[in-house]
Amino acid sequence: MRRRETRHYTEEEILLHVLEEDNAEVRPPVAEHLDECGACGAVRREYLELMALLRQWELPAVPAARWSAARAAVMDRFREDQEWLQRKGLARWLHQAERIWNYALSNPLPTVGYVAAALAFASERTITLFRLDEALPGTAEVLDILRQILGG
Amino acid sequence: MTSQLPDEDLIARTLEGDEDAFSELYERYRQPVFATAYRILHDADEALDASQEIFVKLYRSLASWNAAKSKFSTWLYRLACNHAIDLWRGRKRGGEIQLGEEEEGGLRSEYHISRPAASPLRQLEARETIAQVRHCTDILPELQRKVFALRFFQQLKLEEIAEMENCSLGTVKTSLFRATRTVRRCLRRRRSMP
Repeated sequence: MRRRETRHYTEEEILLHVLEEDNAEVRPPVAEHLDECGACGAVRREYLELMALLRQWELPAVPAARWSAARAAVMDRFREDQEWLQRKGLARWLHQAERIWNYALSNPLPTVGYVAAALAFASERTITLFRLDEALPGTAEVLDILRQILGG
Repeated sequence: MTSQLPDEDLIARTLEGDEDAFSELYERYRQPVFATAYRILHDADEALDASQEIFVKLYRSLASWNAAKSKFSTWLYRLACNHAIDLWRGRKRGGEIQLGEEEEGGLRSEYHISRPAASPLRQLEARETIAQVRHCTDILPELQRKVFALRFFQQLKLEEIAEMENCSLGTVKTSLFRATRTVRRCLRRRRSMP
């Protein structure tokens, strides 16, 4: 048979018991002790009274008009942020384009090389994919010459 | 219809800029967010303003929410709680203590529900009780205030609070106990006053 718990419980233990936050194993002996011990039982009563008092403090009812205004304000901010993000995206794209343009102006030769390489690469893929070589004889040779010039 | 969607889907859509999805998230959580702010700030107007700011913060930081780490509601309560605590800290620093203002009438009094069944005497007693409880919870320090509000008013479990606050369960237990003891003693003192 299990030995009965005889010690008094601390206020913290009693609080956890009242809140049902204590260990499942200790619940029955604590409950039994609180029923029998006047001092510990009084602490439990006081906690229960406090919880009842706290329940009386209800949340204030906010008028529907105030909620509508609050909701509208939040949604406005959301829309503003979304627009700002879109503008930021466009601005970033324009900024990149400007940088590329400036580079092309200050480095015309390498730029022509890059553009030609990109075109050659794209054309080669296009020729292979759509079998353009059959329709336009000599395209592959032209590309070969171009590649030799660019690649060295 | 967005109202049928789980939180995760609404969040994904909000991140893509879907206004309806964000609007549904707002509807779903406006009340608990307001409640969290009110339980810390003890002022309906301030709590309503705070909940607006919390929702703005919410969508701005939504991308940082990690479903594997915490439930969305827990993450949102933490955001709400921290924002309310920041406001409360600022108010305290500024020395603006507004005890009992809600009972004085004016705009704030319109928020209170007057129970039709309760007699005027009962209503008066209830108001007096609430004023006492408010006064006693107003003196709690930061962490105790948070833990007290989340456990007693938001009904969160101590483990959830520990997860939210990123601290140990022991710390939360101790904070709750200290807060409850302070409120209990304060109420006892006030009630024994003539």
